[in-house]
Amino acid sequence: MQVKILSAKFDIKDANKIKVAKKHGAYSTLDKVFSMPPEDVIELVKNSGLRGRGGAGFPAGVKWSFLPKNTGKPVYLAVNSDESEPATFKDRYILVKDPHMMIEGIIICSYAIGSHDTYIYIRGEYTTQVKVLQAAIDEAYKAGYLGDKVAGRDFKLNVTVHRGAGAYVCGEETALLESIEGKKGQPRSKPPFPAVAGLYGCPTIINNVQSIASLPFIIAKGAEAYRAYGTEKSPGTHLFGISGHVEKPGMYELPLGLPLLEVIDKVAGGVWKGRKLKGVIPGGSSTPVLLPEEAKTVTLDYESMAAHKTMFGSGGIVVLDETVDIVHLVKNLIDFYHHESCGQCTPCREGLGWMLKIVKKILRGDGSMADVNLLRELCDNIEMKTVCVLSAACTMPVRSYLDKFRHEFEAYVAKNDSSAAEAK
Amino acid sequence: MADKIKLFVNGVEVEVEAGKNLIDAVGAVGIEIPHLCYHPALGADGNCRMCLVGIEDGRPPLVPACKTPAMAGMKVLLDAAHIKKIQHDVMELELINHPTDCPVCDQAGECKLQDYYMAFDQAESRMNVPQVVKGKKMDFGAGVVHDQERCVVCGRCVRFCRQITKTGELGIINRTDDARVNIFPGRPLSNRYAGNVVDLCPVGAMTSRDFRFKQRVWFLKKAPGICHGCAKGCNITIDHNREKYKDDIIYRFRPRLNEQVNGYFICDAGRLSYKAENEGRLTEARLGNKARPIDDVLAACTREIERAEKIALVLSPNCSLEQMAAVQALAEKLGAFLSGYSDGYIKPGDGDGYLIQDDKAANRAGLGLLGIDCSREAFESAVQQAQLLINFNNDLTRSYKESDLKKLLQGTKVIAVSSHDTPGTALADLAIPVASYSEYAGSVVNCDNILQSFAKGLSKNNDLADICAIAVQLGSPLGSPKERFALLQQSISALKDLEPDKIPAQGLNLNDSEAANVTA
Repeated sequence: MQVKILSAKFDIKDANKIKVAKKHGAYSTLDKVFSMPPEDVIELVKNSGLRGRGGAGFPAGVKWSFLPKNTGKPVYLAVNSDESEPATFKDRYILVKDPHMMIEGIIICSYAIGSHDTYIYIRGEYTTQVKVLQAAIDEAYKAGYLGDKVAGRDFKLNVTVHRGAGAYVCGEETALLESIEGKKGQPRSKPPFPAVAGLYGCPTIINNVQSIASLPFIIAKGAEAYRAYGTEKSPGTHLFGISGHVEKPGMYELPLGLPLLEVIDKVAGGVWKGRKLKGVIPGGSSTPVLLPEEAKTVTLDYESMAAHKTMFGSGGIVVLDETVDIVHLVKNLIDFYHHESCGQCTPCREGLGWMLKIVKKILRGDGSMADVNLLRELCDNIEMKTVCVLSAACTMPVRSYLDKFRHEFEAYVAKNDSSAAEAK
Repeated sequence: MADKIKLFVNGVEVEVEAGKNLIDAVGAVGIEIPHLCYHPALGADGNCRMCLVGIEDGRPPLVPACKTPAMAGMKVLLDAAHIKKIQHDVMELELINHPTDCPVCDQAGECKLQDYYMAFDQAESRMNVPQVVKGKKMDFGAGVVHDQERCVVCGRCVRFCRQITKTGELGIINRTDDARVNIFPGRPLSNRYAGNVVDLCPVGAMTSRDFRFKQRVWFLKKAPGICHGCAKGCNITIDHNREKYKDDIIYRFRPRLNEQVNGYFICDAGRLSYKAENEGRLTEARLGNKARPIDDVLAACTREIERAEKIALVLSPNCSLEQMAAVQALAEKLGAFLSGYSDGYIKPGDGDGYLIQDDKAANRAGLGLLGIDCSREAFESAVQQAQLLINFNNDLTRSYKESDLKKLLQGTKVIAVSSHDTPGTALADLAIPVASYSEYAGSVVNCDNILQSFAKGLSKNNDLADICAIAVQLGSPLGSPKERFALLQQSISALKDLEPDKIPAQGLNLNDSEAANVTA
């Protein structure tokens, strides 16, 4: 089932070094790219059907074509390497194992969108990754792939690495821009969208590491070769991080569209210790949970996930075995989003803290059915009332747990004698 | 005049000004969209989420009104069930961590949270877990006391210090429900407009050390006025109250919107200048240093006027145009020299190019318009020649050291017509108390040549006469307001075809009118 497109060089020793990387084909697409008009590059990426790998799945080529023409302002590229969605660990492999693939992708993208400045926003905790990436960038400058004359062409490109300081919300693209600008990382209201007014008010394209790293293959082999993998609407391959209660957790590159359960069983070795499956988080902590029966029919692509009322997300699959305490899980989940709320919008700032206190109260055995109902109602009251989707990233999964595992919450409430008395 | 566009609010067609956001556009025609963080002077931030409105057939269907420009044909939904639910839900979330200490909160009565609770929520609290605990009565400096728990983190105060004063003392620190407004340690508010954050705060989080716990705001009578602290003539609201068995007292000045003059704000010095209206007043007529009935003192004044061969008059640059006209007519009648010498009212270098002016007088431009001499030489020579100086509220101790003033006035009798009991007043042989600017009606011309009229703000128990009336008692022929206005019309061309009550509320820009009056 596994394929080697993005991960082609992951097993090669020292592929992060430019000498080794070049021996295995790094920067070999540049001759072709620079021989194409930029519009053709955008068209090619559009035809490949590459969708943004940050989680939302917006077609990358289409995003690029939103850039306004002839504004007289510089165009910026920001590469989102904040990878902070819990259970997601795919971009870090690219950053460490094959940074030159990403740099090559940056050159391709910059050429297509007419940008001469790239900011790589990398999460602050990625200390090793920053070192490796920066070393690779330095090598690329030395080898003439970055700088005033990229690969000897009349094309200037500078790449700056900007380290985050540990805020989840800075993975949201406009908070990321604020953070690069040196401000508090808080999402901006949209419109205007970054393609129109992004970094320093200039047109900006923000792409995820994996999206950018997918470009060299698409340029080298063509859109059809990319579409040979995956489904009609979700073409290509994806780095999946499979974690939780499986025998062989890890990062696996797979074409999109595979059945979820088959992947868990055949790739990740199935639920560990012979236990039963309780549920699956399909694409990072923000995505609504799937019950075992739903997991049977869902496939790993954007459309099937949407049909199952969840999201493809970031490819971070978490397998939950029968021993998982869902109420504890929900407490952990809300704790995270509450901690990471930027504190800008009222519903998210005040609401997530309230939800956390309520679920803690239920866990303590002090909760009532009214508390469970209130928790469920708050999901609706908070969601989509805010500038960004951080609050929804909390309420959507919490709602799914409350709806699908309500009996576990009720069991905690039943332990509360006073609440039982109340009910009578 | 801005272009008009038509749009629909709750299905009803309304005509609004183009180029504004939805809050301002439909607010101007009387439809309120609730909001906490948006303020017209500070722009839209979009954090409170109270102004979310529906847009029928719109993409997206739910938008913050503060960030949404009014567009022709737009179908805005305000009273739809789902919008009302959002307003209710956001209010609930605003209130869960808010201490409901309205009974001891200064903001009660003028609090947006209270108003919106009554308008959009009215539900009992469902908060049955402990609230977030934050800092109370924090001294932010410049007379501002902050309560972090009452704060709704709308950031108006932060944006004010960044955008308006550009001093940036305030910031929102921490994330999530721990987010709070704070100063850097040891770096308090230090700008001359800091008091405005108290007005800007939609709740009781920013309070004024000066006003805290002094009055419940619903007892305060609100009178429009013009600040006399400097030549800008900022528009203010005079908040005053007469407590039972006591005198009418001013409790605070607040800025009043005038786009042409001060916008939404006033400076701190002006804000606190209300104190001088309450304190240090001359309340009794004096003969020498003894209190006498005013009629006796006025009779004594008349005798002095008759006795004096040469008389000099001096006017305060704070006097209204009407007072200046009455005194000018008096000077003419008495054949006296009239001076407006008041250099001491100017503090060179104190102005800041925003609201605060070097000139601390409200109507120096009026002296110019009436052609009143303001030179020191002319004033001093007139005083030296005169046996009598009648001083209409000009605090000469601002222009002279007390010893120099005594020297100058040697051999000259002084009648002080004063609102305040200053050292200068104490030097006078006769003193007549008069109303101060919050107690009379009049007009002043500011540093930008804008003529503004103001009404009498409050009446004291011992309601003192205005300088106009005293001037008449001393012999000024301009007995009525009408006559005084007629004299002003002769000197100020812009007033020629205007009735006194037709002076616009925003003030009459004399520069414009002069230009308009120029005949090719």
